[in-house]
Amino acid sequence: MLRNIAALIVFASTATAAPVPAGDLAESLLAGMAKTPPVSTPFVEVSYRGVLDQPLIVSGTLRWLGGDRMERDIAKPFSEIATIGDGQVSVQRGDREVHSMPLSRAPQVGAMLAGFRALLGGDVSSLQQDFTLSAVGGEARWVISLVPKTGQLKQQLVSIVIDGRGHEPRCLTVRNTNGDSSITLVGAMARQGLQSVAPLESALAVRCRDGGR
Amino acid sequence: MRNRARIAIWLVWLGLVAVVGWGVARHLQINSDLRDFVPPARNADQRLLLDEVGNGPGSRLLLLAISGAPRERLAALSRGLAAALSHDPAFARVANGSEDLADLASGLLPYRYLLSPTLDSHRFDAGYLREQLQQRIEDLSSPAASMLEPWLARDPTLEILKLAQRWAPPRQPPLVDGVWFSGRGEALLVAETRAAGFDPAAQEKAIASLKRRFAALPGAAGAKLVLSGPGWFGVEASRRTRAEADRFGAITTVGFVLMLLLAYRSATPVLVTALPLLSGAVAGFALLALIFGHAHGITVAFGFTLLGVAQEYPLRVFSHRRVGVATAVCVRELWPLLATAIASVCIAYLAFFASGVAGLQQLAVFTIGGLVVAGACTRWLLPQVVPAATRDMAATPGLAKAWHVLARLPRPRWLPWLVAVAGSCVIAWAPGPFWQNDLSALTPIPQAELQRDARLRAALGAPDVRYMLVLRAATAEGVLALSERITPRMHALVAQHALAGFELPSRYLASAATQRARQAKLPDKARLQAALRQAMQGLPFRAGVFAPFVADVEAARKLPPLTPSKFEQSPLGARLESMLVRQGDGWVGLGTLSSVDEPSAIAALAGETHGAVHLLDLKASTESLIMDYRHRILVALGLAALLLCVAVTLALRSPRRALHVLGPMTLATLLVLVVLRAAGIPLSLFHLVSLTLAAGLGLHYALFFERRTGDEREDLRTLHATLVCVASALLVFGVLALSSVPVLRAIGLTVALGVAFHFTLSVLMAPAGHLRRDG
Repeated sequence: MLRNIAALIVFASTATAAPVPAGDLAESLLAGMAKTPPVSTPFVEVSYRGVLDQPLIVSGTLRWLGGDRMERDIAKPFSEIATIGDGQVSVQRGDREVHSMPLSRAPQVGAMLAGFRALLGGDVSSLQQDFTLSAVGGEARWVISLVPKTGQLKQQLVSIVIDGRGHEPRCLTVRNTNGDSSITLVGAMARQGLQSVAPLESALAVRCRDGGR
Repeated sequence: MRNRARIAIWLVWLGLVAVVGWGVARHLQINSDLRDFVPPARNADQRLLLDEVGNGPGSRLLLLAISGAPRERLAALSRGLAAALSHDPAFARVANGSEDLADLASGLLPYRYLLSPTLDSHRFDAGYLREQLQQRIEDLSSPAASMLEPWLARDPTLEILKLAQRWAPPRQPPLVDGVWFSGRGEALLVAETRAAGFDPAAQEKAIASLKRRFAALPGAAGAKLVLSGPGWFGVEASRRTRAEADRFGAITTVGFVLMLLLAYRSATPVLVTALPLLSGAVAGFALLALIFGHAHGITVAFGFTLLGVAQEYPLRVFSHRRVGVATAVCVRELWPLLATAIASVCIAYLAFFASGVAGLQQLAVFTIGGLVVAGACTRWLLPQVVPAATRDMAATPGLAKAWHVLARLPRPRWLPWLVAVAGSCVIAWAPGPFWQNDLSALTPIPQAELQRDARLRAALGAPDVRYMLVLRAATAEGVLALSERITPRMHALVAQHALAGFELPSRYLASAATQRARQAKLPDKARLQAALRQAMQGLPFRAGVFAPFVADVEAARKLPPLTPSKFEQSPLGARLESMLVRQGDGWVGLGTLSSVDEPSAIAALAGETHGAVHLLDLKASTESLIMDYRHRILVALGLAALLLCVAVTLALRSPRRALHVLGPMTLATLLVLVVLRAAGIPLSLFHLVSLTLAAGLGLHYALFFERRTGDEREDLRTLHATLVCVASALLVFGVLALSSVPVLRAIGLTVALGVAFHFTLSVLMAPAGHLRRDG
């Protein structure tokens, strides 16, 4: 689930122009993304899992409602609403009963949420408590990497890599320690959609870096 | 005797009391096990009450609420406290909503197909498996994916999570930041002590450890930790009682010392007066240690109260000393009367032996031993320590005048009869209950704390402490089967709002029969593999990924059913252990209930199960136990009164004289009852014991006023002694009557009233002749 929240971190960028200082690229890019809630974007998530021989694709809308509250709605191929807030994650699939679990049982979600709030509040130093930030590229085309520092997060997560152009993130790639990974397209990339029903991970990665307009 | 020798004897005496006291304190075990003090159980419910309820699952729960800090900090404190308590040997478990039951349940992983109810309604065929696998694919896209994924290959139907959900508390407070919070923003926890709920000493240790651990948490400084639950109330009640008794004890000690100085104009009485009583108490404890090895806390408290009579012995001696006459001579003159009083009371207490209750027998041993030793010390040791008087108490200013006033009081002969008849009428017809059966009415816990307990209990869905469901069967398996059978009925009762929730033993462990039935439904390897192949068609699962699942099902087909003893070794074992207990040659299942609204609807289960299941009302059982107990005390007291009459009559060698002593005692006791009844105060055991003490003091007043001395000065000394005794008793018990602790108030009020009535009546009913000699 953390890839979804990481997606939220970055989709927040819109067309607002902000100057790019010559200093630390990652910090300046992230600082430029500070937003006022509520913010929403479409998303397409492609996940590659060891137990499956095909990628799993879901699409829908991500919403940041302010503070520590957010929502992840899946519209296709089934309907599910996940709400995060008050230290809890609640999931309702279709019209079945709501399942809730504490955020503490999914430590990475908690850490990501903290990072997310810090980021949209423009507080990069808070994000740096949990992650080592690095960036390559320039204003036009960039890649930010988040590598977890803390124990629990580090046990599950290898890295989060965000590809973007200008002030808009495009893709979010999450690698788990168990070998699973996922790529989430947000903003304009999500609107373009996928060209294949079972895109190869490598092909999708190339598209995030170079493809599109 | 020279002063130096006196001081030496005094020091040796004091030293002896201290040394014996110290030795006894080391050897005598004061326990708080109710079984020692109440009569043997007469029916199964009473036996269950005594054997198990203190140990029962509900009474060992402490409810905790943390407040007074921002939400994040409260949640962190809740987690910190839960982590600290999980390593504390005093606690069996602690819950704050954050525990991952799947982790706990994983110890029972091989048994999941036998324990989970899935196979009761489904089979592992292609249809069911496909539906499950489709759901798992959706799960893999949900935020719960990282939690489920590790289980997927072994447990695609998620039985372990179903068990975790089944074993989660039936009703939970809402989770905030991953831990339970109340509607008022307090972080909530439940801790189960290993010690029984009604073991105040062990509870006190557990609570002290809990508080220490809380205080050591980072950020605990500003936050407030509130405790509740039976164990806490027990500790709090004794703390409040002790604190108030200590505070009043300090006040009365100062008052008593001042009074002694005023009455005797000498420091000697202050230094010596407590020694006979202390010697008696130490001797009483030593006897208990020798004969029983242990004593119940209530025995000690009651015994001390009754032993209070001995405080009068040295006071009588001080008042009766004469100038220029050795103290030993005065004591010898006084002794026949004192000995009569001591012997009569001791003979009366022999009746307690006949009660057949260990606690009352201990009480008799303590009191008789204590009184005899206190008396002997007064007779033989006190004169060695107290020098001859330099002042005759008969010359106390105002004393002669007081005598005249008392002697001139009108003494109509019909008055005692009128008082007796009118008093009996009041006692018989005053409205309100005669006896106090409800122990909780005696609790010193403020109403606000009791309300808070109800609030926390409701918020946490913690079980009711008044009602329990009792399931009886010949074997543990029988109890589990019974528990399974009534579970649907209980769900129906919850649906019709007879209660809010319940927990039965079969919630944790299915009966062996049910486990075997589930086992029989597990497909063999070939059939499962075929069904799985069919179910996976068109789904993106990798081929062979469910091999661990196939192997686990195959293993589960051959497992022997999980037994209670094996389940009890698992991390969740403690819960079953407290719900499934052996009693006599049968087994008992204890079901906890929460928020019981219609006890009668639940009690109806007894009829449906031919008595195998019934609702236990702990309050009613306790009350029946107390009524039994009181009955025995009343019989013992009645017998004691008879023995006392006989002893006094024999000692005075005249029924007429005996009537002068016993008449005022009886009437005064009657009058105390009249006042209590008229004030609408129902009588508890504490009132009964206090009445007995007052009667013991009254015996002294009456005996001494009845005495024919033929010496006016000696009569004045008697009056002096009695006034000092009455004043000191009124001081001690009158102050106690102001207490906010119901038990102390009951003792204080009853004894103070008793002393006043006994004194007044023994003056008014003394033989007129020798009182009015000078009038």
